Amino acid sequence: MIQIKNLSKKYGQKIVLDSINLEFKKGKVYGIVGKNGAGKTTLFKCISRLESYEGQIFSDFNKLKDHIGFLLTNPFFFSKITGKEYIQFLANARQVKLENIEDKNIFDLPLNQYASTYSTGMKKKLALTAILLQKNKVYILDEPFNGVDIQSNLIITELIKKLKTLGKTVIISSHIFSTLAETCCEIFLMKNGKIVKKVKQEDFSNLEAEMKQFTIGNQIENLGLQ
Amino acid sequence: MKEYFFLQYKMLNRKMIDFGIPLLVAYTLIPIVFILLSKYLFSKTPFASYIFLLLALGIISKTSETKRNDFLKSIFNTRNYLTLRIVENLIWSAPFSIFLIYKKQFLFALALASLSVFTALLNFSITTNFTIPTPFGKKPFEFTVGFRKTFFVYPIAYFLTCMSIMTNNFNLGIFSMILIGLICISYYSKPEHSFFVWNFSLSTKAFLFEKIKTSLKYFTLLSLPITVGLSVFFPEEIIILIGFFVLCNVYLATLVLAKYSAYPHEMNLPQGILIVFSLMFPPILIGIIPYFYSQSVKNLNPLLDDSN
Repeated sequence: MIQIKNLSKKYGQKIVLDSINLEFKKGKVYGIVGKNGAGKTTLFKCISRLESYEGQIFSDFNKLKDHIGFLLTNPFFFSKITGKEYIQFLANARQVKLENIEDKNIFDLPLNQYASTYSTGMKKKLALTAILLQKNKVYILDEPFNGVDIQSNLIITELIKKLKTLGKTVIISSHIFSTLAETCCEIFLMKNGKIVKKVKQEDFSNLEAEMKQFTIGNQIENLGLQ
Repeated sequence: MKEYFFLQYKMLNRKMIDFGIPLLVAYTLIPIVFILLSKYLFSKTPFASYIFLLLALGIISKTSETKRNDFLKSIFNTRNYLTLRIVENLIWSAPFSIFLIYKKQFLFALALASLSVFTALLNFSITTNFTIPTPFGKKPFEFTVGFRKTFFVYPIAYFLTCMSIMTNNFNLGIFSMILIGLICISYYSKPEHSFFVWNFSLSTKAFLFEKIKTSLKYFTLLSLPITVGLSVFFPEEIIILIGFFVLCNVYLATLVLAKYSAYPHEMNLPQGILIVFSLMFPPILIGIIPYFYSQSVKNLNPLLDDSN
């Protein structure tokens, strides 16, 4: 379990996260939604300890960060590293012994090519494969469906469901509501660095309409399009 | 096109300011240091002109980066693009050409100028699926990336070792080892994305130890043909050979620590000054290494030593 208490983050005077209180349980999938700049990525970075913060994060682990597999929105790759070497590097970092990497290539990636030459979607799939093979207990997936083709989209959705049954904690941010509704147990709505709404699975049917109203409102009408 | 060179000039100035060098000092010191090092090189080996040529081509090759040139091609028409690339290459090779002329090495100066123009005309945008094999795939990334970027230096270094054996010139052999040492050191010049440090489930101390261990192991592997060759053919110089080998290892370890002592930023003036001092007077490494180590621990702790 991960428990976040009064987590705040500032960049200079700008408050990016404002007293966040959340709880993530084992074997559950959580969705975080919100507009660009709402603070989702910063929240993920704070949970992972990639960013410093005020407040407290408790967990069942001695070093939480060593059990987190973090899929960045835009995964970064070295210029002359092949897909296979990238997977190997991330496995080495967590002292995981890997054999027959090719057999675990579920997205059918060209693992012997330089990862930096991959398309956006392929990069995302490679980064996801690498963190899955690290055998983490917690997965933070920042926009896992971005730039990914429909077939891979289906695989990722099934993967998330599988992680849930394996008792992993999964936290996802996505702009694609249907995938969140299909996989999540609870969705948190973020606005201006605050959690403004927590929605349980049984209330998801109303959430999409609510979100539309909440995020769009009358803004399109204000354009005065004719 | 004028704006392009003006922007390049501004970028260079910003880099020097970020590095912590006042511009006046930089523009005075850089030519002096260049001349002193060049004179030293020419006084030490008869192959200096070849080395000089290779160094210049190494620098020019930086301007042949595909993405950058694709961007330039999208902005300028073909004529302006080619003019710009030729002028740019000639500017970068100018200090080397001038020094070669000063040394009356007219043929080399002419070759350098011609190669500068020729490399600008080459189209490097042909991408292939060829991946350069390395023996470091099990432990990416510094040596894997670095080796692929600088693989052409290794045959040159090994060739110099062969030349040193054939001409009975031990100093040239030592130079080839130092060349490999410098190349390996360059693999640690840029800080990696914090994600790649954060991923390690190691304590800060274990992380640094692992990084140093890998660097020393792979340097030893790459310099093995040189150390073996020189120890067989110059057995009377074995102590000097071991001395230089140990020094290369110590400087490599120092540079690994220097990199993380500035992390997540690039190494800047304080680290640079300390390294230069240590090159002039190696015993001060006894003080510098613990200093870099303590700074590295301080910088890496927030990313690696998280305990609830």
